[in-house]
This record gives sequence, structure tokens and C-alpha cells, in this order.
Amino acid sequence: MSRFLLVVPPLVGHINPLAGVATELTRRGHQVAWCGHSERLRDLVGEGAEVYECAMPDGGDLVRPPGLTGPAAFRFLWEEFFLPLAGAMAPGVEAAVRSFAPDAVLTDQHALAGSLVSERLGVPYLTSASTSAELIDPLAELPKVAAWLTGRLTELRARVGDPRATADPRFSPYGILAFTSRELLGEGELPWERVHLVGPVIADRPEDPEFPWEELDPDRDLVFVSLGTANTDAGLRFLRETAKALALLGDRVQGVFADPGGLLTEAPPGTLVRPHVPQLDLLSRAKAVVSHSGHNTVCETLWHGLPLVLAPIRDDQPIVARQVVEAGAGVRVRFGRVDAARLAEALRTVLDDTGGHRSRAAEIGRSLRATGGQRAAADHLEQLTARHPAPFAAH
Amino acid sequence: MTTEATTTATGTPGAEHDEGTVLRQIATMLRELPDAGLDDAEITRETLFHDDLELESIDLVALAGSLREHYGERVNVALFIADLELDEIIALTVGQLVDYVAESLRAAERG
Repeated sequence: MSRFLLVVPPLVGHINPLAGVATELTRRGHQVAWCGHSERLRDLVGEGAEVYECAMPDGGDLVRPPGLTGPAAFRFLWEEFFLPLAGAMAPGVEAAVRSFAPDAVLTDQHALAGSLVSERLGVPYLTSASTSAELIDPLAELPKVAAWLTGRLTELRARVGDPRATADPRFSPYGILAFTSRELLGEGELPWERVHLVGPVIADRPEDPEFPWEELDPDRDLVFVSLGTANTDAGLRFLRETAKALALLGDRVQGVFADPGGLLTEAPPGTLVRPHVPQLDLLSRAKAVVSHSGHNTVCETLWHGLPLVLAPIRDDQPIVARQVVEAGAGVRVRFGRVDAARLAEALRTVLDDTGGHRSRAAEIGRSLRATGGQRAAADHLEQLTARHPAPFAAH
Repeated sequence: MTTEATTTATGTPGAEHDEGTVLRQIATMLRELPDAGLDDAEITRETLFHDDLELESIDLVALAGSLREHYGERVNVALFIADLELDEIIALTVGQLVDYVAESLRAAERG
């Protein structure tokens, strides 16, 4: 039996994959504790979880102006969110490590306090990558931007990490658990060593028990629409155009919208618009998905063998979208410009399989279902503690 | 629109390396970017790549490819992009790229 501390940022898409890993570790008899935003963690991983609270800047909410995209969104994400988050979380992570005395830490690569505090206290740690986009060195063509980020990370390390360490804190020298697969990354060599591509974590999570399943029409194709949880205020125009596109295809498709921000007040008759949805159950019945190209939704969709219409908004989403398009399983549209007619055309393309997207998605789904997911992740954590026994003398 | 050609010491309006010609060429390439949805977009020297055209860095890389195809070795846009700081990328205008391309063409002509 080992003790694992899981460190996460207050972002649903980063917590969910680790929740599946935690369940698997617990099932194997290990002890798991969390470190992060306690309220959000209890919502996502259950009331019974052992949670060490961390301070969060601005309550831990990532709020960005809807129009903030591209490199400006990148600068905001680091300067206004990940870097202050690391500074705020560091004392809580240190207290959790000292109190829980873990054999190893698993930290999300964007919860930088997890890796920097672990390196300073001498605890072995893996970083987890909740997106395929960071693994391909997206700043390779922009060396001055990469240098800007490295400079910020070095400053942060001087404050909360071990200043003598040299590894990029997003990529642990002990190893990286990446919840993605070659299907998205392509065959090229990855710029980081010790990356374990464990595949997506597909695990039950507490969702909407009230979902009106009886309102789904068995004679029409179900299209699931989601812009994820981190972009709730950015999507009104796009959701409206999608609703219009679904109306154009109303004789053959039925739409279900995940709309956590409550933006969409008009939708075609028969369309379901819900703040929370049982996403995995819906995907097992859907025929296609319209998505902002968040990595988790993309992987869950492909795992179910479904093609996508992708409308990336910002951050890693354009890269993930390009990877899906290159893998042949989706059609990309422009979030800020696409209209109902173009969306309907994209949906028709993937539903009718005229471009082979559905067949390709089905193939990718088979290969993703063959990856280990949370089981492979737990294997790697067990191997880590076997190689680096008990950093703390006594539990 | 500020598409009027500016005459320089080494350039004549309408020539390949003239800013107006380069702007028209780049605007065409942008409108032809696959899936960019820019078919009807107004593109001037002041147009911002990110805020106005909603292009991403991967689109810039694609554009660099088109420019290389069109102008060959004379214009290395990847080099131009690689030299930009984050703030400069955020504020990058079509005009800045036009000037770089036009200057590269004139430099190639001078030998």
C-alpha cells in the first residue's frame, strides 16, 4: 500500500482524469489524498475524499473576457492564472506533503506548485498532461514566446521550488502521464522524455440524475453540443448558430446542448438544453458531437467512436482540433465566424460519412478503448514508488 | 482602406515588391486559408491577425508556407515570426507582414 497525493488546479477538465486515477488507486488498496480547491474537488470526486485545501487567487475561477483568444489568451492564462495560482497554492501543497507524507505526488502539469514543492521537498512526482497540445512543443516556432514563459517559470521556481533544479516543471523528470494517444499526436517524436501515453480516462462521474431520457427521439440522430466548462460566457453567438443549424436538419437530428452558463434561451422544438448532462451516457447514444475541442470531450467522443465538428475557442483547443482533423475524424469550423448553413453542412458531412470521418472515428475509438487509461496510470505510479521508496522515514 | 502603393527609392507601383501588390497577394492567401472563413473578410494594412481575423499561430505557420510557395527562398516568414515577442505577436498587423515581405523582395533584388 502506498500513499499518493494528487495536486490539481481548480479546473474541471484537469480534475476529471485524475478522479478516475484516484478511484483505480483506491481500488488497489492505496491511500489517496487531494490538494486543491476543496469545494470543487468534493463536487467532482465525491464528499468522502480526503482533501487538503489550497488558497486560490480570486476564488480560483478562470474568468476571461469572451473575446480574449489567441496569444492574448495565452498571456492571460499564464500571467493572470497559472503563475499566481502556483504562488497561492504552494503553502497549501507544502502543508499537505508534510501532513499526508505521500510516497509520491501526482500533479497536473498546470498546477505548478505540485511539481515545484515536490522537487524542493524531495518527493518523487509524476506530472499529468490533460491535453495532447503541450506534448508537441507548441511554441517551437516562437522561440521568444517560449523564452518568455521559461523566464516566468524560473522566477516562480526561485520563490517556491528548488532553484538548483533545471527540469521544466510541467514535465517531471520522473515521468509524465499523458491522458491522450498516438491517434491524436501522430507518429512524430515527442520533445519530452518519459512520456507515458496512457490514453483517456473514461470513468463514471457524478452527473445529472434527472436527465429526461424519455424526451430523446429514437428516430432521429442525436447530436451532442458542448463548449466545455471553462468557456461558459463566450459561446452565445455560436450556440445560437448551432441551434439554427440543428433546426435546418430537424427532420433527421435532435440536439442536446450542454449549456452550463444558461446562455441559450431559444432552441428548436425538441432540443434539450441542460446546465449539466450525463456526458458519457449521452455519447453512448449520440451520432456526432459539436465541440469547442477541449481535449477531454474530444477523447471521450472518439472513445465512443463518434466524429466531431470542432470549433476551437482558445488555448490548446486549436491544436487539438488540428490533430483530430489530421487524424481524419472531424471537421473544423471557425468559432467566431461560422454560420448556421456552414455548421449544418459540416454536420451533414460527418453524419453521412461522406469524408470518412465516422469510419475513422470508429477506428480510433477501437484503439483508444485498448489503451489502459486509469489502470495504466496506476501502474506507472506503483512503479514510481517501487523505484523510489518512502521519502518520509515514517508514516 | 490604405492599399495605395507607396513608392520607394527602389520600387515602382505595381511591381512585385511593391507594398500594395504584396498586400493584395497576402489578402488573397488569407482568404484562401482552408476553413478560415475569411472569404469575405476586409483585409487592410491595419487588420490585426488575431483580434480581427481570429487567426492562430498555426494559421501563421500555414500562411508562411503559402508565402514560401509563392515567393520561394527570397522570403522567410518563419524567420520573421520566430523573431516576434509575445506582445508583438498579439499586436501583429497585416501591414507589418506586408512590409517585411516587400523589404525581403527588394533585398533579394538588390542581391
